[in-house]
Amino acid sequence: MKQFLKDRLPLDGMMDHLRKPLPKHINLLFSLGSLAMFLLILQAVTGAFLALFYSPSPDHAHNAVQYISGEVPFGSFVRGLHHWGASAMVIIVFLHILRVVLYGSYKAPRELTWVVGVLLFIVTLGFGFTGYLLPWDEKAYWATVVGIEISSTAPVLGDVVAKILRGGTEVGAVTLSRFYALHTIWLPWLAFGLVGVHLFLVRYYGSSGLPKNTDEEMKTGKPFYPDQVFEDVVGILILFVVLACAALFAHVPLEDVADPTNANYDPRPEWYFLFLFQLLKYFQGPFEILGTFVIPTVGMLLLLFLPFLDRSERKVLWKRPIALTVTSVSVIAIVGLTILGATAPKLETTEETPPTEQGQQVAPPDTQTEQTDETEEDVFDFQLTEEEIENATEVDEESQ
Amino acid sequence: MENEGRRSFLQIATACIGGLLSLAAGIPLIGFAISPAWKKGESQWVDLGLVDRLKNSRFKKVNYTFTAKDGWVKATKKRSVYVTDIGNGEWDVFSRTCSHLGCLVRWNESQEAFLCPCHGAVFDKNGAVVAGPPPEPLQKLEVKVESGVLYVKEA
Repeated sequence: MKQFLKDRLPLDGMMDHLRKPLPKHINLLFSLGSLAMFLLILQAVTGAFLALFYSPSPDHAHNAVQYISGEVPFGSFVRGLHHWGASAMVIIVFLHILRVVLYGSYKAPRELTWVVGVLLFIVTLGFGFTGYLLPWDEKAYWATVVGIEISSTAPVLGDVVAKILRGGTEVGAVTLSRFYALHTIWLPWLAFGLVGVHLFLVRYYGSSGLPKNTDEEMKTGKPFYPDQVFEDVVGILILFVVLACAALFAHVPLEDVADPTNANYDPRPEWYFLFLFQLLKYFQGPFEILGTFVIPTVGMLLLLFLPFLDRSERKVLWKRPIALTVTSVSVIAIVGLTILGATAPKLETTEETPPTEQGQQVAPPDTQTEQTDETEEDVFDFQLTEEEIENATEVDEESQ
Repeated sequence: MENEGRRSFLQIATACIGGLLSLAAGIPLIGFAISPAWKKGESQWVDLGLVDRLKNSRFKKVNYTFTAKDGWVKATKKRSVYVTDIGNGEWDVFSRTCSHLGCLVRWNESQEAFLCPCHGAVFDKNGAVVAGPPPEPLQKLEVKVESGVLYVKEA
């Protein structure tokens, strides 16, 4: 069999390429890219299996996720892997970007590798945003309502983009269908295409190594295969064990089914969008657009074009004062805003005066210290049946 | 020389055929995907209940449902509003949707204000922004009374 393949494929050349030595002194941080790729594959595989039982319609989505978690054998584990894998992916990709910034690996000739990497980071966030609508629970619904409203604040095309994302004027069946298609078809195609280009560029230019590597050291480190691959696989094993433990022992949240009239719900996004959620609070009135559009867009463009903006000599981060300052401030701001967003107190409303049966408010009690959210009893539904409306119209006409 | 001319013709012809195919397939596909951008919401009058039952209401939370098309689905949509009887047969009906990013506001009697649970918006009893990020006031919905029934315009 081996000979059969050898006769038909350039296996020796491929093996020679894989055995090419890496630069000297590279460390564990250089495994982050492999971990990110493993997570992408894990998400694709677990997602493909979840799709066997999932139904992207508002009437069935929540029940389907409940069924997966509660009744399908291993369903809770598979959903857990997918859920925690998503969070792990955001963390690993973020750390991978930081590693590249730390060693200045984005500098020439690897600018394109960086640009494609940042596009992959954007796709990762896209996976997160489209993915958490799919359970169609309260968090899914409200985070998507707010997320799409954010896009609608963009100048000129904001409303158009929001309508395209929603598939209409409000979040509903078409939105869920669109997000499912984006999450399971469009974004995976895009992600694997970009990963292909990213890997080609990484292999084409070779590992960037450390800034201190001499020309000689760049070619005399351990071989990529099997040495580096083994280290990557050990890292992947550890990561998988952590995710498996989380899937087995940590609760994967599923809130009540989405209810567009539930005003008791305090909408909060997934943890990796909390910094943006918190940022939006600081820009008021006409400055709203700074938080919703200008800062996120400018930040992403700066990240995308970093190699073309920072043309300085390649050195480690602490020897590049401007890059060090910008990176530190950005990381501190993102982490700080995330913590503030996570710990922000939820809104408590003073108990409203209970209504009488006739729909009239009674006087508030003298001592009203308890803070509580509105209850079912506070909310009225006086809508008439069609028959009652017809009767009311007939009575009105007769009286005239 | 002749060959070069022929090859450059073939290059241009290939590019033209590729471009033509891309346009022929791309225009309908993109139009298909972004068609919701031109879709306008249909407005309709929805009853909130008999005026007699809502008389003297003050920021009363009223839920209602109506049927509207959501793509291929004829869906029952749920809404929630605050109704106030301002006298002389006039009504204030406030949408509960925050004008910032769409979360549902809550009326707080002691503060006499609408509070948003998302980004800290505060609106006064007239719907004007008092604090927080919203660039616009809370939306007051169009209402009418017919045959003793209060209707709200659902846009």
